[in-house]
Amino acid sequence: MSQRDPQIDSELSERLRAIDVRAPQELHERIESLVAERAAARRRPAGWRLQIGGAVALAAIVAGLLISLLGGGAASKLTMRETVALTQRPATASAPSENARNGTELAVAVDGVPFPYWDERFGWRSTGSRTDGLDGRQVTTVFYVNRDGQRIGYAIVAGKPAPTIKGGVIEWRSGTPYRLQHAWGNEVVSWQRSGHLCVIAGHGVNPSALLALASWQGHETLSA
Amino acid sequence: MRTLDPQSLPQHVDRLYRAAWALCGSREDAEDLVQETFSRVLSKPRVLQGDDELYYLMRVLRNTFLTGRRTASRRPVTAAVLEDVVAADPKPTSRPEQAIEVQELYATIAQLSEDFRLALVAVDVLGLSYREAARALRVREATLTTRLFRARKQVAAQLAPEVEQVRESTREGKTAGGVLSTGGTA
Repeated sequence: MSQRDPQIDSELSERLRAIDVRAPQELHERIESLVAERAAARRRPAGWRLQIGGAVALAAIVAGLLISLLGGGAASKLTMRETVALTQRPATASAPSENARNGTELAVAVDGVPFPYWDERFGWRSTGSRTDGLDGRQVTTVFYVNRDGQRIGYAIVAGKPAPTIKGGVIEWRSGTPYRLQHAWGNEVVSWQRSGHLCVIAGHGVNPSALLALASWQGHETLSA
Repeated sequence: MRTLDPQSLPQHVDRLYRAAWALCGSREDAEDLVQETFSRVLSKPRVLQGDDELYYLMRVLRNTFLTGRRTASRRPVTAAVLEDVVAADPKPTSRPEQAIEVQELYATIAQLSEDFRLALVAVDVLGLSYREAARALRVREATLTTRLFRARKQVAAQLAPEVEQVRESTREGKTAGGVLSTGGTA
């Protein structure tokens, strides 16, 4: 076995080179979308580039993840192709500001569930937001960036009951279950706040850091 | 020295996908890896210093792959979560018999040690020259050659019965060149 005919090695090499498997069409489309998105971002003025480029990408990720994560109902019928279609949508709004009456929240909320203000405490500042409709529900996403340039998207799905979620690992914090998952190259934490599904997703972000952000009760403690 | 043209990147998706598949051993992970690789490349303008695009992409693919593995080793183990809603491509190739063979071949490569795997993927799957592959993997050419030789040997050993069988049938049927077919062409 150890003294193999060198011909086999060369045959293996040729055999590998001869493989002509194509990447799935969905992947081709996603890459083409990425290229188009980046090309569009470069045509915009520099000031827009940083905020909207990242916002579009993150919104796509979060929207895609939401579709993928929602179990039951029509959402489970959605395909990757449809998810990719969401990535074509542009960013729609600038960064929400801090709530003047409550320093732990941003001045944007979904059905009364506010987005947190993390800048002072955690160093994650909001950089933009957008709103999408998914399966008849409104999804508002706020984007945050930290000092290292990492970006995350925080989405809250409007309406009750919150869609059910499958899979992942459950971590409990203060009696609330947080679901940690790795999907599409992103770390994802999902949970419920006041009966609303919340999802935080980011690429290359430590899941523990995401969990810490998700489970921070500061804004709810003060506003309760 | 020239700037990488993003519009030219989609032409490399298939080759990069095959490389990623052989690295990861799974089509789903390969898709993630390719998307992440392109996402990184496109995150800012890139300058190629006389380098081939594929060489550059291999470098980023390698870095993304290694970073992903480090990250994965730190995160909690999770169950597969998206398979029920994210359908994998049911037809990675138009030839089913080839799909099975490719899957087996890439799965075997994915079991190699990281260094061997990267060497084999860079040269035999992606088609880089030894020199390009060595630079992309940041090793000396001699080192790459050794790794490649050993990697091929290990994979060939794993697939030995199958390879021998195909070789025999190739000899008997005597086709020009005596090169193993990837199947499907009879």
